[in-house]
Amino acid sequence: MRHVTPLGNQGMYILDTAAWRVVRPVMDKNRCVNCGICLSLCPVGSIYAEGKQILISYDYCKGCGLCAAECPKQAITMEAEVK
Amino acid sequence: MSYIDTIKKLPQVMTPGSSACQGCGGELITRRVMQLAGNNSVFAVPPGCMAGAGVDGWSYQNGCTAPIHITLLDNTASFLSGVSEMYQRKGRGDVNIVAIAGDGATADCGFQSLSGAAERGAKMLYVCYDNEGYMNTGFQRSSTTSLGSRTSTTPAGSAINGKEQNAKYLPLIMSMHNIEYCATASPSHMMDMVGKIKRGLECSKRGFAYLHIFSPCPTGWSFRPDESIDVARRAVRSNIFPLWECERGRYYLSFDNREPITVREFVKSIGKFASLGEAELNALQASTDSRWALIKRLCER
Repeated sequence: MRHVTPLGNQGMYILDTAAWRVVRPVMDKNRCVNCGICLSLCPVGSIYAEGKQILISYDYCKGCGLCAAECPKQAITMEAEVK
Repeated sequence: MSYIDTIKKLPQVMTPGSSACQGCGGELITRRVMQLAGNNSVFAVPPGCMAGAGVDGWSYQNGCTAPIHITLLDNTASFLSGVSEMYQRKGRGDVNIVAIAGDGATADCGFQSLSGAAERGAKMLYVCYDNEGYMNTGFQRSSTTSLGSRTSTTPAGSAINGKEQNAKYLPLIMSMHNIEYCATASPSHMMDMVGKIKRGLECSKRGFAYLHIFSPCPTGWSFRPDESIDVARRAVRSNIFPLWECERGRYYLSFDNREPITVREFVKSIGKFASLGEAELNALQASTDSRWALIKRLCER
């Protein structure tokens, strides 16, 4: 995801919340109807729209699972994070 | 344009990577309010979860793309009264003046300055995310904590079993200040919430606008992070947190709850209510019912 704050001369840093994640949301695009409910409910703002498509960014996703719980089509599943 | 298109179109004002807990309702509310207010705004965030999570950008961490200030716990509203007055005199009334405060900084410590600003009709939008306690410092009780909640200062044990007092119902107190706009919202009813934030921003150009938003806290209330929105929805459906709005003394019900669920269904899976017995649950149900009856009597439809 694009950084929204320019880095200052003191060196501003953005916390890497993706490191907290133990499960990751995976979207099944065959079931997804691009309604955008997950986008409106993601607390981290990790779900974004590209044209009509709704996509998940893993840069800062904390893996809370709200999107999977609230998806009306059950298109998002939480899968274990493997290195 | 639907509310989802509005959210899609607007850029994020708060940076990614805030250190709020997984499934935090407060972070969702803060992002949504900041996104809808946009960059032409001045924000004030008193100490609390959101300030601690790095919305203010202190110690060069995270931040936000609009001017933001971390006020003291008890002077948020009076601070913004001055900022608002300054922008009015400069002829820049288009700037959104927004406070995003927790319930401690609104109902307890900051209530005196909030009440003063509401009475003066200072032109600003004051958003309170109500997570029912001082969650940032370790889940201490606040005056909006609901009856029977287990917090670190009202533990469940042999002497007491959770909080013994009823919650202070702040939105009704604020609407009695005869302010321009006062509403309650919940992240589970996002369309309603987005509409109320927009209306609040409009009304903040004419006078004081107040929004009270329910914010489930997975860490403090002990439930799974993916249940946040479901807990908020159950709170609305069980009348623990009725949705209504008040504009210039006229009350409207936003969600007419025709088939309310019981308080028992709300408290299941929430750890802070785990030790409640039959008598406490009946007391919570009775206080919820009397509040709902009062709201229904006030509202016109």
